[in-house]
Amino acid sequence: MEVNVNHVLDAKGLACPMPIVKTKKEIDQIEPGQVIEIQATDQGSTADLKAWAENTGHQYLGTKEEGDVLKHYVRKSSEEDTTETKHQDVLELENLKDRLEGDEQITILDVREPAEYAFGHIPGSINIPLGELEDRSEELNQDDDIHVICRTGNRSDLAAQKLSGKGFSSVKNVVPGMKDWDGPVNQNH
Amino acid sequence: MKVAIIAANGNMFDAYKVFNIATAAAATDAEVGIFFTFEGLNLIHKDAHKQLPLPSGKEHFQEGFQKANVPPVEELLDMAKDMNVKMIGCQMTMDVMSLEQDQFVEGIEVGGAATFLSYAEDADVTLAF
Repeated sequence: MEVNVNHVLDAKGLACPMPIVKTKKEIDQIEPGQVIEIQATDQGSTADLKAWAENTGHQYLGTKEEGDVLKHYVRKSSEEDTTETKHQDVLELENLKDRLEGDEQITILDVREPAEYAFGHIPGSINIPLGELEDRSEELNQDDDIHVICRTGNRSDLAAQKLSGKGFSSVKNVVPGMKDWDGPVNQNH
Repeated sequence: MKVAIIAANGNMFDAYKVFNIATAAAATDAEVGIFFTFEGLNLIHKDAHKQLPLPSGKEHFQEGFQKANVPPVEELLDMAKDMNVKMIGCQMTMDVMSLEQDQFVEGIEVGGAATFLSYAEDADVTLAF
Protein backbone atom coordinates (compact mmCIF):
# COMPACT_ATOMS: atom_id res chain seq x y z
CA MET A 1 0.00 0.00 0.00
CA GLU A 2 1.14 3.52 -0.72
CA VAL A 3 1.78 5.70 2.29
CA ASN A 4 0.07 9.08 2.05
CA VAL A 5 2.37 12.00 2.74
CA ASN A 6 2.34 15.77 2.43
CA HIS A 7 5.76 16.11 0.78
CA VAL A 8 8.21 13.92 -1.09
CA LEU A 9 11.94 14.63 -1.11
CA ASP A 10 14.06 12.94 -3.76
CA ALA A 11 17.51 12.32 -2.26
CA LYS A 12 18.26 9.32 -4.43
CA GLY A 13 21.88 8.96 -5.49
CA LEU A 14 23.10 11.36 -2.83
CA ALA A 15 25.84 10.40 -0.39
CA CYS A 16 26.13 11.28 3.28
CA PRO A 17 25.56 13.92 4.60
CA MET A 18 23.31 15.18 1.79
CA PRO A 19 20.13 13.21 2.66
CA ILE A 20 20.18 14.76 6.13
CA VAL A 21 21.05 18.24 4.91
CA LYS A 22 18.29 18.14 2.27
CA THR A 23 15.78 16.79 4.78
CA LYS A 24 16.59 19.62 7.15
CA LYS A 25 16.01 22.19 4.38
CA GLU A 26 12.77 20.57 3.26
CA ILE A 27 11.33 20.16 6.74
CA ASP A 28 11.85 23.86 7.42
CA GLN A 29 9.37 24.53 4.58
CA ILE A 30 6.50 22.35 5.80
CA GLU A 31 3.88 22.80 8.50
CA PRO A 32 4.23 21.22 11.97
CA GLY A 33 2.50 17.84 12.04
CA GLN A 34 2.94 17.21 8.32
CA VAL A 35 4.66 14.10 7.02
CA ILE A 36 7.55 13.99 4.58
CA GLU A 37 8.77 11.01 2.58
CA ILE A 38 12.52 10.98 1.95
CA GLN A 39 13.63 8.76 -0.90
CA ALA A 40 17.28 7.75 -0.61
CA THR A 41 19.70 5.16 -1.91
CA ASP A 42 22.37 5.82 0.74
CA GLN A 43 22.27 2.69 2.90
CA GLY A 44 23.41 4.66 5.92
CA SER A 45 20.45 7.00 5.67
CA THR A 46 18.13 4.86 7.82
CA ALA A 47 20.35 5.04 10.90
CA ASP A 48 21.19 8.67 10.15
CA LEU A 49 17.60 9.80 9.81
CA LYS A 50 16.57 8.03 13.00
CA ALA A 51 19.37 9.72 14.93
CA TRP A 52 18.70 13.05 13.25
CA ALA A 53 15.00 12.91 14.11
CA GLU A 54 15.76 12.07 17.70
CA ASN A 55 18.13 15.01 18.04
CA THR A 56 15.88 17.52 16.34
CA GLY A 57 12.64 16.40 18.02
CA HIS A 58 10.93 15.28 14.82
CA GLN A 59 9.11 11.96 14.73
CA TYR A 60 10.69 9.14 12.72
CA LEU A 61 7.82 6.91 11.59
CA GLY A 62 9.57 4.17 9.68
CA THR A 63 11.24 3.08 6.48
CA LYS A 64 10.18 0.84 3.68
CA GLU A 65 12.39 -0.61 1.01
CA GLU A 66 11.41 -0.65 -2.63
CA GLY A 67 14.17 -2.25 -4.65
CA ASP A 68 17.26 -0.11 -4.17
CA VAL A 69 15.28 2.84 -2.83
CA LEU A 70 14.71 3.45 0.85
CA LYS A 71 11.63 5.48 1.66
CA HIS A 72 11.84 7.12 5.06
CA TYR A 73 8.87 8.77 6.76
CA VAL A 74 9.28 11.65 9.19
CA ARG A 75 6.60 13.82 10.80
CA LYS A 76 7.56 17.38 11.63
CA SER A 77 7.36 18.09 15.35
CA SER A 78 4.45 20.10 16.68
CA GLU A 79 3.59 21.56 20.05
CA GLU A 80 1.22 18.72 20.83
CA ASP A 81 3.10 17.28 23.80
CA THR A 82 2.52 20.34 25.94
CA THR A 83 -1.19 20.95 25.51
CA GLU A 84 -3.59 19.83 28.22
CA THR A 85 -6.71 17.94 27.28
CA LYS A 86 -10.15 19.52 27.35
CA HIS A 87 -12.53 16.71 26.40
CA GLN A 88 -14.09 15.45 29.65
CA ASP A 89 -14.56 11.79 28.85
CA VAL A 90 -11.09 10.28 29.04
CA LEU A 91 -10.02 6.65 29.03
CA GLU A 92 -6.61 5.33 30.06
CA LEU A 93 -4.72 3.17 27.57
CA GLU A 94 -4.78 0.22 29.99
CA ASN A 95 -8.55 0.34 30.16
CA LEU A 96 -8.80 0.37 26.41
CA LYS A 97 -6.72 -2.78 26.35
CA ASP A 98 -9.09 -4.45 28.82
CA ARG A 99 -12.08 -3.47 26.72
CA LEU A 100 -10.47 -4.87 23.59
CA GLU A 101 -9.83 -8.16 25.34
CA GLY A 102 -13.48 -8.29 26.43
CA ASP A 103 -16.40 -8.87 24.10
CA GLU A 104 -17.62 -5.30 23.94
CA GLN A 105 -18.34 -3.81 20.53
CA ILE A 106 -16.18 -0.72 20.44
CA THR A 107 -14.95 1.54 17.69
CA ILE A 108 -11.38 2.83 17.74
CA LEU A 109 -10.80 5.96 15.70
CA ASP A 110 -7.12 6.74 15.04
CA VAL A 111 -6.75 10.41 14.05
CA ARG A 112 -3.03 10.40 13.25
CA GLU A 113 -1.65 10.96 9.74
CA PRO A 114 -1.94 7.99 7.36
CA ALA A 115 1.84 7.45 7.41
CA GLU A 116 1.87 7.18 11.20
CA TYR A 117 -1.05 4.78 11.05
CA ALA A 118 0.65 2.71 8.35
CA PHE A 119 3.68 2.00 10.53
CA GLY A 120 1.67 0.69 13.48
CA HIS A 121 -1.95 0.86 14.64
CA ILE A 122 -4.36 -1.08 16.82
CA PRO A 123 -5.90 -3.92 14.79
CA GLY A 124 -9.40 -2.98 13.67
CA SER A 125 -8.96 0.75 14.25
CA ILE A 126 -10.27 3.22 11.67
CA ASN A 127 -7.96 5.95 10.36
CA ILE A 128 -9.33 9.43 9.74
CA PRO A 129 -6.64 12.10 10.23
CA LEU A 130 -7.71 15.03 12.42
CA GLY A 131 -7.53 17.40 9.46
CA GLU A 132 -10.07 15.34 7.50
CA LEU A 133 -12.50 14.63 10.33
CA GLU A 134 -14.71 17.60 9.55
CA ASP A 135 -15.48 16.24 6.09
CA ARG A 136 -15.47 12.54 6.89
CA SER A 137 -17.34 12.25 10.18
CA GLU A 138 -20.34 10.71 8.38
CA GLU A 139 -18.20 7.61 7.86
CA LEU A 140 -18.78 6.97 11.58
CA ASN A 141 -21.96 5.90 13.31
CA GLN A 142 -23.27 8.54 15.73
CA ASP A 143 -24.45 5.96 18.25
CA ASP A 144 -21.27 3.86 18.37
CA ASP A 145 -19.03 3.75 21.39
CA ILE A 146 -16.10 5.68 19.86
CA HIS A 147 -12.60 5.64 21.33
CA VAL A 148 -10.39 8.30 19.78
CA ILE A 149 -6.64 7.84 19.82
CA CYS A 150 -3.56 9.61 18.42
CA ARG A 151 0.10 9.59 19.45
CA THR A 152 0.01 11.63 22.64
CA GLY A 153 -3.64 12.45 23.40
CA ASN A 154 -3.74 15.94 21.97
CA ARG A 155 -5.05 15.48 18.46
CA SER A 156 -7.49 12.89 19.80
CA ASP A 157 -8.70 15.46 22.33
CA LEU A 158 -9.53 17.92 19.55
CA ALA A 159 -11.16 15.15 17.52
CA ALA A 160 -13.26 14.01 20.50
CA GLN A 161 -14.47 17.57 21.08
CA LYS A 162 -15.35 17.89 17.42
CA LEU A 163 -17.35 14.66 17.33
CA SER A 164 -19.23 15.50 20.55
CA GLY A 165 -20.06 18.87 19.05
CA LYS A 166 -21.53 17.09 16.04
CA GLY A 167 -23.84 15.09 18.27
CA PHE A 168 -21.97 11.82 18.70
CA SER A 169 -23.31 10.29 21.91
CA SER A 170 -20.37 8.33 23.32
CA VAL A 171 -16.89 9.65 22.57
CA LYS A 172 -13.84 8.91 24.69
CA ASN A 173 -10.35 10.34 24.36
CA VAL A 174 -7.79 7.58 24.94
CA VAL A 175 -4.70 8.83 26.77
CA PRO A 176 -1.83 9.12 26.44
CA GLY A 177 -1.88 7.40 23.05
CA MET A 178 -0.01 5.17 20.62
CA LYS A 179 3.40 6.28 21.88
CA ASP A 180 2.82 4.14 24.98
CA TRP A 181 0.73 1.36 23.41
CA ASP A 182 2.26 -2.06 24.09
CA GLY A 183 -0.63 -4.18 22.80
CA PRO A 184 -0.92 -5.77 19.37
CA VAL A 185 -0.31 -3.61 16.28
CA ASN A 186 -0.93 -4.01 12.59
CA GLN A 187 1.09 -2.45 9.82
CA ASN A 188 -0.04 -1.72 6.30
CA HIS A 189 2.71 -0.42 4.13
CA MET B 1 24.09 21.11 20.80
CA LYS B 2 27.32 23.02 20.18
CA VAL B 3 30.12 21.51 18.09
CA ALA B 4 33.73 22.76 17.93
CA ILE B 5 36.04 21.38 15.24
CA ILE B 6 39.73 21.90 14.59
CA ALA B 7 40.79 21.36 10.96
CA ALA B 8 44.58 21.04 10.86
CA ASN B 9 45.13 19.03 7.68
CA GLY B 10 44.60 19.88 4.07
CA ASN B 11 43.98 16.95 1.78
CA MET B 12 40.68 15.88 0.29
CA PHE B 13 40.00 13.22 2.93
CA ASP B 14 40.45 15.84 5.63
CA ALA B 15 38.01 18.17 3.89
CA TYR B 16 35.28 15.53 3.85
CA LYS B 17 35.85 14.57 7.47
CA VAL B 18 35.50 18.19 8.52
CA PHE B 19 32.66 19.35 6.26
CA ASN B 20 30.54 16.19 6.50
CA ILE B 21 30.44 16.35 10.27
CA ALA B 22 29.98 20.12 10.22
CA THR B 23 27.06 20.12 7.77
CA ALA B 24 25.38 17.12 9.40
CA ALA B 25 25.63 18.86 12.78
CA ALA B 26 24.31 22.13 11.37
CA ALA B 27 21.41 20.24 9.81
CA THR B 28 20.67 18.85 13.27
CA ASP B 29 20.24 22.41 14.54
CA ALA B 30 23.64 22.42 16.24
CA GLU B 31 25.77 25.54 16.52
CA VAL B 32 28.97 24.68 14.65
CA GLY B 33 32.38 26.38 14.61
CA ILE B 34 35.55 25.30 12.80
CA PHE B 35 39.05 26.54 13.51
CA PHE B 36 41.27 26.17 10.43
CA THR B 37 44.95 25.99 11.24
CA PHE B 38 48.15 24.97 9.42
CA GLU B 39 47.30 22.90 6.34
CA GLY B 40 43.65 23.02 7.32
CA LEU B 41 43.65 26.53 5.85
CA ASN B 42 43.61 24.86 2.41
CA LEU B 43 40.00 23.91 3.06
CA ILE B 44 38.90 27.54 3.01
CA HIS B 45 41.50 28.98 0.63
CA LYS B 46 39.72 30.51 -2.41
CA ASP B 47 41.56 28.37 -4.95
CA ALA B 48 43.06 25.50 -2.97
CA HIS B 49 39.74 24.13 -1.66
CA LYS B 50 38.61 23.43 -5.24
CA GLN B 51 41.60 21.23 -6.04
CA LEU B 52 42.57 19.46 -2.86
CA PRO B 53 44.92 16.52 -3.40
CA LEU B 54 44.16 12.99 -2.31
CA PRO B 55 46.67 11.63 0.21
CA SER B 56 49.72 10.18 -1.56
CA GLY B 57 49.23 6.55 -2.43
CA LYS B 58 45.43 6.96 -2.22
CA GLU B 59 44.89 8.57 -5.61
CA HIS B 60 42.97 5.54 -6.82
CA PHE B 61 40.07 6.51 -4.56
CA GLN B 62 39.20 9.34 -6.96
CA GLU B 63 36.98 6.99 -8.88
CA GLY B 64 35.25 5.85 -5.69
CA PHE B 65 34.30 9.41 -4.83
CA GLN B 66 32.61 9.76 -8.20
CA LYS B 67 30.94 6.38 -8.02
CA ALA B 68 29.49 7.13 -4.57
CA ASN B 69 28.31 10.50 -5.89
CA VAL B 70 30.05 12.36 -3.09
CA PRO B 71 29.40 16.10 -3.49
CA PRO B 72 32.42 18.27 -4.38
CA VAL B 73 34.18 19.99 -1.45
CA GLU B 74 33.03 23.34 -2.88
CA GLU B 75 29.42 22.34 -2.49
CA LEU B 76 29.86 21.21 1.10
CA LEU B 77 31.70 24.42 1.95
CA ASP B 78 28.89 26.51 0.43
CA MET B 79 26.36 24.49 2.36
CA ALA B 80 28.25 24.95 5.60
CA LYS B 81 28.29 28.72 5.04
CA ASP B 82 24.65 28.64 4.11
CA MET B 83 23.82 26.96 7.43
CA ASN B 84 25.79 29.54 9.39
CA VAL B 85 28.74 27.38 10.34
CA LYS B 86 31.25 29.72 11.96
CA MET B 87 34.68 29.50 10.32
CA ILE B 88 37.78 30.89 11.95
CA GLY B 89 41.12 31.08 10.12
CA CYS B 90 44.20 30.90 12.32
CA GLN B 91 46.01 34.26 12.31
CA MET B 92 49.36 32.85 13.33
CA THR B 93 49.41 30.26 10.51
CA MET B 94 48.36 32.90 8.02
CA ASP B 95 51.28 35.06 9.13
CA VAL B 96 53.72 32.15 8.86
CA MET B 97 52.49 31.30 5.37
CA SER B 98 52.18 34.96 4.26
CA LEU B 99 48.47 34.64 3.54
CA GLU B 100 45.96 37.48 3.72
CA GLN B 101 42.28 37.26 4.56
CA ASP B 102 41.27 38.22 1.01
CA GLN B 103 42.80 34.98 -0.27
CA PHE B 104 40.14 33.03 1.60
CA VAL B 105 36.48 32.43 0.86
CA GLU B 106 33.98 35.10 1.92
CA GLY B 107 32.53 35.08 5.37
CA ILE B 108 35.37 33.68 7.43
CA GLU B 109 36.70 35.28 10.60
CA VAL B 110 40.33 35.45 11.55
CA GLY B 111 41.46 34.81 15.08
CA GLY B 112 43.95 33.16 17.36
CA ALA B 113 43.94 30.19 19.67
CA ALA B 114 42.11 32.13 22.36
CA THR B 115 39.29 32.91 19.92
CA PHE B 116 38.73 29.22 19.32
CA LEU B 117 39.06 28.33 22.99
CA SER B 118 36.48 30.87 23.99
CA TYR B 119 34.11 29.44 21.37
CA ALA B 120 34.85 25.82 22.35
CA GLU B 121 34.68 26.34 26.10
CA ASP B 122 31.05 25.25 26.39
CA ALA B 123 30.91 22.92 23.37
CA ASP B 124 29.22 19.53 23.73
CA VAL B 125 31.32 17.91 21.03
CA THR B 126 34.93 18.80 20.23
CA LEU B 127 36.73 17.19 17.30
CA ALA B 128 40.14 17.56 15.69
CA PHE B 129 40.97 16.43 12.19
